[in-house]
Amino acid sequence: MRTLKLVLAVAVSLAVAPLATAQETVRIGVVQPMTGPVAYDGNIYVNTVKMLVDDLNAKGGVLGKKIELVIEDGACNPAQSVNAAEKLVVRDKVVGLLGAFCSTSTAAVMEVAKKHKVPLITGISTAAQLTEQGNPYFFRAVATTPMLGNAFGPVLPKALNAKRFAFLTLNDDWGRSMQASYPKAIESGGGQIVANEFFQQSDLQFLSQITKVKAANPDAIVLAANTQQAVALSKQIRELGVTVPLVGEGAWSSDSYIKLAGPAAEGVYGLVEYVYTIKSPINEAFVKEFQAKLKENPSKFAGAAHNVLHIMVDAIGRAGTTDPEKIRAALEKTDYNGLVGNIKFDAKHQAYGQTVYLSLVKNGVPDVVETAKIAKP
Amino acid sequence: MSATITILAQHLLNGVLIGCAYALIAMGLTMIFGVMNIANFAHGEFYMLGGFVAFYLVSLMGLDYFAALPLAVAIVVALAIVLQHSIFRRLREAPMMTTTLVTIGLSILLENAALLLWGPQPQSIPTPFPTKPLSFFGVYTTPLYLFCMAVTAALIVVGHVLIRRTRMGKAMRATFQNKESAALVGIRIDRIYAYAFAFGAALAAAAGAVLGGFIPVEPATGGIITLKAFVVVILGGMGSFVGAIVGGLLLGLAEALGAGYMPTGWKDAIGFFAVILVLLFRPEGLFKRV
Repeated sequence: MRTLKLVLAVAVSLAVAPLATAQETVRIGVVQPMTGPVAYDGNIYVNTVKMLVDDLNAKGGVLGKKIELVIEDGACNPAQSVNAAEKLVVRDKVVGLLGAFCSTSTAAVMEVAKKHKVPLITGISTAAQLTEQGNPYFFRAVATTPMLGNAFGPVLPKALNAKRFAFLTLNDDWGRSMQASYPKAIESGGGQIVANEFFQQSDLQFLSQITKVKAANPDAIVLAANTQQAVALSKQIRELGVTVPLVGEGAWSSDSYIKLAGPAAEGVYGLVEYVYTIKSPINEAFVKEFQAKLKENPSKFAGAAHNVLHIMVDAIGRAGTTDPEKIRAALEKTDYNGLVGNIKFDAKHQAYGQTVYLSLVKNGVPDVVETAKIAKP
Repeated sequence: MSATITILAQHLLNGVLIGCAYALIAMGLTMIFGVMNIANFAHGEFYMLGGFVAFYLVSLMGLDYFAALPLAVAIVVALAIVLQHSIFRRLREAPMMTTTLVTIGLSILLENAALLLWGPQPQSIPTPFPTKPLSFFGVYTTPLYLFCMAVTAALIVVGHVLIRRTRMGKAMRATFQNKESAALVGIRIDRIYAYAFAFGAALAAAAGAVLGGFIPVEPATGGIITLKAFVVVILGGMGSFVGAIVGGLLLGLAEALGAGYMPTGWKDAIGFFAVILVLLFRPEGLFKRV
């Protein structure tokens, strides 16, 4: 009998032990694609937040507790992302969510955040309508595609010395919103639009689309693609004998893209929220640590991860509690100085005030050739 | 006028290049279906493995490109033989639903194994060909594209001859028509199954290794390849070799011309729309199985 009691006591204490330690950490949930079509970029994000959380914990964490990341794979799939977010909130009791990658997945996860009243920050999803829904628990710490277009569209014709612009983008919220919003800004700078073409997330070759764009005889091609498709696109564009400048939103200034695309990456312009060649002490320190630990230069997804994690932790610190409602209120008062300058949120929880960059790949290095500031919408 | 013709010629060339690849992949799928009665949803994974193995042989082990391609195919075939021996041989009498589910499971297993082994990073196989495009009267191509077209076309011919002209091909076709009778006249069904599976995997792996030069390969690539191969096989007729070849070329050309002269957002819809039409009006496919 006594032995049985002892065994029970041990069993109970073992069962309770993880709960006790769980309460001593501040749990932040991450929903990112670690498999599927954008797994490569998603993994960069995940590795970055892991590295940064280790740093923050070494400096004492937040609210005197250690930060604990709980990471789930959303696979850029709305249904899987919703399941992941539900699990993080209901089972892991996270106090805030970071994610998701693809705009369609983020739109789905936003509803979970609202239902359970947990704040969600995205640093990557740029489809304009996300912040138009007035979801009080959703924050976006990145410029939308129309905002980026408004900032850079008017200068593109001059910067690229081009008049006729052709669009060739991914056929999703992101690419569609790019083709809806950029033309006006480009036209205000003296350019004209000569082609509007799309490709699918699953496409591996783009020969038909490229041939069609080529037939429109453009001076520059505006693209939207993540790493894998960016590599194939820029190679195939050159292979079909098109030599005009390329300018793109997406992976166009990342190390992995430049390495994989090789010579095809030379002379490609990127419209980016972050590029590792930004000259500022905070960025230089980040790049140095990133190179040492993750053996490459940080991409814009790493930059996004840096922004959202620090904004979330900053808000938890200012809220002084792990109550998600108070964290949400603290997030609204964000005034964060990070890699890309100052970030504040407007009434719709859209970030503004940060710097955006036009990069140009030269000898494998994406130099900043132009900057602009995101105006308050 | 001449510009219009140049563009048409470019679309046709693009279509033939992609169509040859579709045909090669679909031939393997249709062979496995015809002989073994297995709808192999892991077929695209053999393509992906072919690409990855070739990439590792060339870029990490420094093997010569032209030696690496056949070696990559051989390695994938070895894996296919192991899989056929350990899994599909035991399921010879199992209903199609069971084998289909097994192949779906296998595709998930192979994709995630690749993800664990090689990570999610897309890879292009370095080729010795000059990257400078060639222009023929304004129609552009590269030495690599021409090489791909030549290899895929040659393999299609080799496959066709193998099935039509050799003893093994005859035995395969006999198994195809009636397994029991084939066994009665002394054809070793087990061996024919192993050949069919290995040969089917070899064709897919060869496509992956060759196309990997200009279409980056990553662990998730297999899914879309399987889907396209099924479109071709359903178009051409399940189990028909000629159907797979013609269907592959047709799909490649239809996609190229469709995307060329209609909004490009519809590119994938064209193939699947054709499948719906074929299933509605000619469910046996354009070509009956032989």
